[in-house]
Amino acid sequence: MSALGGVVTGTDLAILVYFLALNSFYAVLLLLSIPEIWEQTRLAEDDDFQRLMQSDALPPITMLVPAYNESATIEASVTAMLTLEYRSYEVVVVNDGSKDDTIEQLRHAFDLYEVPRIYPETIATQPLRAVYRSRTRSRLLVLDKENGGKADSLNAAINASRFPLVIAVDADTLIEPDALLRLTRPFLLGREIAAVGGTVRVANNCTVKDGRVTDARVPHRLLPGIQVVEYLRAFLFGRLGWNRLGGNLIISGAFGLFRKEYVAAIGGYRTTSIVEDLDLVVRLHRYLRANKIRYEMPFIPDPVAWTEVPESAKILARQRERWHRGLIAAIWEYKGMLFNPRYGRVGFLAMPFYAFGEMLAPLIEVFGYVVTVVGLSAGMVDSSFALLFVLVAWGYGMLLSIWAVVLEEVSFRRYRRFGDLFLLLLYASLENFGYRQRTVWWRLKAFVSVWKRRQVWGDMTRKGFGTEVSTP
Amino acid sequence: MTSRHFLLIVALVQGVLLAALIALIILNRWFRLRRSARLQPRRVAVDDSMRRWAAGGTPLAGVLIGLARLPASLAIDALVGWSARVPGERWRELASALEHQWWARLVRTNGSSARWWKRLECARFLSVGAMPADVARLVRLVNDSHAAVHVAAVASLERIESTPLTLAALERLPRLAPTVQAYYAGMLRRSRAVVIQHLLKRLRRGDDPALARFAEFAVRLAEPALRERMTALADHPNPEVRIQAARALGSFPHRESVTALTRLVADAAWEVRAQAARSLGMIADATTLPRVRAALRDPEWWVRLRAGLALMRFGTAGRNALLEIEVGADPAARDVAKLILGLPTQALAEFAA
Repeated sequence: MSALGGVVTGTDLAILVYFLALNSFYAVLLLLSIPEIWEQTRLAEDDDFQRLMQSDALPPITMLVPAYNESATIEASVTAMLTLEYRSYEVVVVNDGSKDDTIEQLRHAFDLYEVPRIYPETIATQPLRAVYRSRTRSRLLVLDKENGGKADSLNAAINASRFPLVIAVDADTLIEPDALLRLTRPFLLGREIAAVGGTVRVANNCTVKDGRVTDARVPHRLLPGIQVVEYLRAFLFGRLGWNRLGGNLIISGAFGLFRKEYVAAIGGYRTTSIVEDLDLVVRLHRYLRANKIRYEMPFIPDPVAWTEVPESAKILARQRERWHRGLIAAIWEYKGMLFNPRYGRVGFLAMPFYAFGEMLAPLIEVFGYVVTVVGLSAGMVDSSFALLFVLVAWGYGMLLSIWAVVLEEVSFRRYRRFGDLFLLLLYASLENFGYRQRTVWWRLKAFVSVWKRRQVWGDMTRKGFGTEVSTP
Repeated sequence: MTSRHFLLIVALVQGVLLAALIALIILNRWFRLRRSARLQPRRVAVDDSMRRWAAGGTPLAGVLIGLARLPASLAIDALVGWSARVPGERWRELASALEHQWWARLVRTNGSSARWWKRLECARFLSVGAMPADVARLVRLVNDSHAAVHVAAVASLERIESTPLTLAALERLPRLAPTVQAYYAGMLRRSRAVVIQHLLKRLRRGDDPALARFAEFAVRLAEPALRERMTALADHPNPEVRIQAARALGSFPHRESVTALTRLVADAAWEVRAQAARSLGMIADATTLPRVRAALRDPEWWVRLRAGLALMRFGTAGRNALLEIEVGADPAARDVAKLILGLPTQALAEFAA
């Protein structure tokens, strides 16, 4: 019994140390996000953008839009992408062998006609069926290819792209009109940019007109509502904090701008990867560090893209399980970068954080719950102490979420109504009671999937933005 | 202190912080709403007085009073917004009057502030309100270490003619990232005479590491006075300089340009060959058609593509050459010819750009 007591006490202590170390790091990120958002807000408010828009200095951009069974949203999304406030860009939509009528929708909406392929296949992809241009939209190029997954579609679009910067955008994502312009700010500020990420926000319950979010609202349903806070936390303080630590390891696949020469140099997106954006960014870091190329991969908060998040627990569970499976796969694949001085801060900070603070977190959390329950039932852990510990842990999570709401409030204030602000605070408070434990469970299942070597893509059922989502 | 005490203290601190954050959110929103309600009528008043003054309806004093009632950052926003809509002569009148305004004097002194956002404010103000006396301050801002500051300061070249300022911007140009270089180039084009005089000197320094960047800028200017220097650079040992020379010569349909490009289309670097093929297409001198046709058998795909597109610019002769190649023996040349001949006019125009 005393041996069991020793194990329980030792485990509790280890979990407490882990909790302290991880939360201290979060506190550092939180503190670092303050000067970062302050600087970014200052630069974002600079009205000189209008002048830059009229200059020919802006680098031309190719938007890569993979589409798989996006029939419901494709026309509105592509129309919105074709009318952005940017001088020189093209949109390459790739129909990845959709089972629905995505290609027919595109053909009908944009009056497509077939053209010969006039570019080399720099990155190998699944065979192309046809290449189309539009009679009504000269910026648009549509590729129809055999199904090969999102990464394969992005590679096909990279092959067809003409411009030095490429931005991967999900077909169901709504880009704000000035988002491209804002996203190129780091390039205009003369920094050595390899990639730059913008903010992805939740579009559920927002009013959408002509493929644009005209009125930002916080969803009234709990599940998408909590995801609003999650997204704010991930983007506004997590990634901003990492800017100062020089190691943003994730640039959202739904909205990230990359220098094509670097992406091509590493062979494009890996088709075998589960989370292609994380995989790409880690490989970019590895390539640029290994070749001693000076670079930055900043996140800037003011360019915004809106996306629909899952409203059902079943789809959300699948999404989170896949994300975590991708994280495990990436960390395992690139474990050689961990604590490797060759990779600088990425090897010493970002990779260990994602390995120990993100990847292992669900395992440790569940292990902590189990040990505490065992300790309580055996009378080895004081129940009031255990309760206090859990409350402090949850309180800390709540603090981080509310901090994300603070950052949103002092900077961009997309949610104008007091009611929405109240909902944000409510969701930030409720997140730790039930929702967090469910995500831990979903992420835990990812370990089982990895063990069974599953690599199945999650499907996302979308309502579509074509119809105006009214507010109650 | 036991671990229980530690956790209790943490819980207490958390509780206080949570309350403080919620209070901060509510106060911030309340403060911003009040501020917006207070400033909005003043902004509207400035816009109104500016509109009336620009149309010659009211004296300048109304605009100056309105601007002085706004916080400096908002006054600068209003000035930047209106600067493109008011004719030059009237705008100079406003800039001159602003020299004596207390807030504008304060903004000017921020030019030497240790804080970058203060210097940015000054640079933005001077980009639309600079007077000849501000040149030294602007030169300092153009050499500023913060990119936002020097990018804002260089915009003053749109409104003020000054050789030292132009030269400061021109000297900074090769050290900038490509996108910023393009922005600087756009601004520098306005001071063409000074720029060309200085460029002619810089393009003579064959061992200058910044030569390729100056040559690139010279391409953007497409200035006939630079043709001779660019032709001489066609034999430079640095391939990047030769690429720029090949690009530039396409804008000068001259015998010497054609001779140099004919040499460059057989260069060791494929990027130079591709650029030379493109430029030969721009000049479309009938005597160079066999050379461009030969480039269609180049081992590099991009050179073949550029040569094929160039042939389309030779008119019927070029098109006939492509039709012959399409049924010729060389499979690589055949493929490119087939692709080019299958391209619709719009795609051809886009590729030629």
